[in-house]
Amino acid sequence: MAYDNQPGAISRRSMLRAGLLGATLLGSGVPLLSACGSGDQGSGDAKELVFWNFYGPNPDGNAQSKWFEDLAAKWNANNDVKIKLHYLPVSEYLGGTALQTAFSSGAGPDIFIISPGDFLRYYNGGVLTDLTPHLGAGAKDDFVDGVLDTRTVEGKVFGLPMEIEPLAMYYSTDAFEKAGLSEGDLPKTWDQLLDVGRKLTDDKRFGLLFETAPGYYQNFTWYPFMWQGGAAAVGPDGKSGFNSDAVHKALGLWGDAVKNGIAPKKTQGDGGGNAVANLASGFCAMQQTGIWSVSQLETDAKDFRYGVFPLPTPTGGTYTTDMGGWAFCANAKGGNPQAAAKFIAWALGSTDAEGVERMRQWNTVVKTNMPSRKSVKEAATKAGAFEKPALKTFMEQVVPGGRAEPRYTPEVYKAISDAIQATMLGGAVPATAAADAAGKIDAFLSGYKGAAIL
Amino acid sequence: MTVVQRPQPGRTSRPGLPPRPAAAPRGRISTGAAGARRRKEALAAYAFIAPDLLGLLVFVVLPMVLALGVSLYEVDGFGGYTFVGLDNFRLLGSDDQFWQSVKVTATYTVAFVPLCFLAGLGLALLVRDHFPGVGAVRTALFAPHVISLIVVGVVWQFLLVDKQGAVPGLLRPLGGGDVSFLGDPELARWTLVGVSVWFLMGYQMLIFLGGLKDIPSEFTDAAMIDGAGSWQRFRHITWPLLKPTSFFVAVNSTIGAVTGLQAYDLVFALTKGGPAGRTTTVVYYIYQQAFTFNHYGYAAALTTAVVAFLVLATGLMFAATRGGRFHVD
Repeated sequence: MAYDNQPGAISRRSMLRAGLLGATLLGSGVPLLSACGSGDQGSGDAKELVFWNFYGPNPDGNAQSKWFEDLAAKWNANNDVKIKLHYLPVSEYLGGTALQTAFSSGAGPDIFIISPGDFLRYYNGGVLTDLTPHLGAGAKDDFVDGVLDTRTVEGKVFGLPMEIEPLAMYYSTDAFEKAGLSEGDLPKTWDQLLDVGRKLTDDKRFGLLFETAPGYYQNFTWYPFMWQGGAAAVGPDGKSGFNSDAVHKALGLWGDAVKNGIAPKKTQGDGGGNAVANLASGFCAMQQTGIWSVSQLETDAKDFRYGVFPLPTPTGGTYTTDMGGWAFCANAKGGNPQAAAKFIAWALGSTDAEGVERMRQWNTVVKTNMPSRKSVKEAATKAGAFEKPALKTFMEQVVPGGRAEPRYTPEVYKAISDAIQATMLGGAVPATAAADAAGKIDAFLSGYKGAAIL
Repeated sequence: MTVVQRPQPGRTSRPGLPPRPAAAPRGRISTGAAGARRRKEALAAYAFIAPDLLGLLVFVVLPMVLALGVSLYEVDGFGGYTFVGLDNFRLLGSDDQFWQSVKVTATYTVAFVPLCFLAGLGLALLVRDHFPGVGAVRTALFAPHVISLIVVGVVWQFLLVDKQGAVPGLLRPLGGGDVSFLGDPELARWTLVGVSVWFLMGYQMLIFLGGLKDIPSEFTDAAMIDGAGSWQRFRHITWPLLKPTSFFVAVNSTIGAVTGLQAYDLVFALTKGGPAGRTTTVVYYIYQQAFTFNHYGYAAALTTAVVAFLVLATGLMFAATRGGRFHVD
């Protein structure tokens, strides 16, 4: 039975007519959407501030989660404006859409944490609050030299770092011994790195591991190799320095490691930052990862024997490493930006004994980091935090000469990421990939109007 | 036959006006009663489709229309909207990486749709007839589809991981121990196709099974009596009568290949668009534009273009098959 032609029945035409009317009405709502999203600079006096993070309150209730919960409880006990923690799993916070979606809909959190790699996106978006007025006397000077640079614009601090996370090479002692190698064979140059990696490679294990998945983390781990030859993605003249010999060699190093079967084309687990899934599992014998892997191995691979050494350098190059770390930021369009800034300054910048102890706990007790403040570093050293062999190596050999993770815009990051992927896994010639990336970076920089790219 | 003429409310002649001609009688029931019944039926029909229609409006039509609206703006992701007209659509034409992602999606679709179709149909034919444990076999074949794609991605990562995965381990005696299923640029896209087929073939099997069950057994019984072999029965009875189902599976798979969950979730879990962009599908590229670069306006323009293409492609498929009315042949 066909109902189409009967009066009062649902016809295709009537459905289309209704749909068209609805679509027109909905389309006309876009300007309303824009009106909803374009909030002014926050000047509210909200009594509750939401703090998005990927530590606590964690359902696991681990020590890092407890540190965050204690931090909020301590503040809430003495202040009218309360902090409410909002936990997101790390995969969602780093790789998901929750934070960006919240900001784009005008409902970003009052307080949140970001890495230097994301700083310009949020600063140029106008959502970061100047924290400087809330920092006590001497607080700014207490931060380790250079650590505030990538969070500072025109002398104003827009993010306070909670930690420093330098990169180094970890190695499996058992794998070295099995291959007849000793500490004296730890590579100091790129050529030695490939040579030792080759000796450590067998049917079931790679000699060396770099991050393989495209993303901010891969770029972060590749930058030191670029810097060691004296290159930079964006030069002091504001133009791309990417198409240089040093970059070609850095791209070539990772490409050669993969091409020769020394390094994998795909890492295990959640990536090259996980030493348990890759190094301790026997998937590789040497792995580039950060200081956080000390606590990873302590927690999840207690019996695993390993060591740490600084990143090798190219012939004629200068040692450096990339020092990452996350920072607290206050949303300038939030419910009470000034109270949020005050909280951050208290939480991470207090120079009194309680503040120093709080940061010592975070950096060397519940987590393994290098402290971002001199007073905390001193207190931690006195407490014997760096006597463990791995952390001692970090303190004495890895950190000196290191530089802060750069703050590149997403466009610069993507051009570099494409070049790394093309040469490491796609078989592209380094010079061609570098020239392509430099062209994209220059094209972007020619119209860029945001804060300085460092 | 005598037709009872009942007074029709609101339809009586007014004084001074010529009498209205009576509506042509239909059957034994007066037109007034028939109209009321049709209105009731229409109301019931609207009530039945309302929940689905509401879902479609909120989760499909509304985002599509808003995407079209947003595509006309430059959106910075922090509440700033600047009207740019069709600039985002113009940019699309010169964006090499977008066209590279189109190429990836096209390759994926061309490989995935026929493979998934054949696997679904083949499995449906295998489990069509009753045999001991057929229910368990059907359940097992459908089981992958009920798992989250992220979990599917993680499981396959473990199975395929370089050197130590179960699959490279099986291939080692054959000299394939160093094959990198997810790290080799050429192989990774085929791995994506393979895992997608594994995930969706049970679902397509279920659709085909429904189609096969609708074919009256008298047709095949008669053919068997006439001496037709299994291939002849499939070719001359099953295949022609299965055309509407095949059409649905083909359209459904094509749309799924371009915009389905496997085009984003699986890519995110398995390769994050790598190696070297070889698995960056259109949907994944749109995600990057929106959430990595904060280019929401451009991402909306790309979304609108993809939806327009799919509507056009589906429209052509419907036109070529007269709306899937194969039984008219």
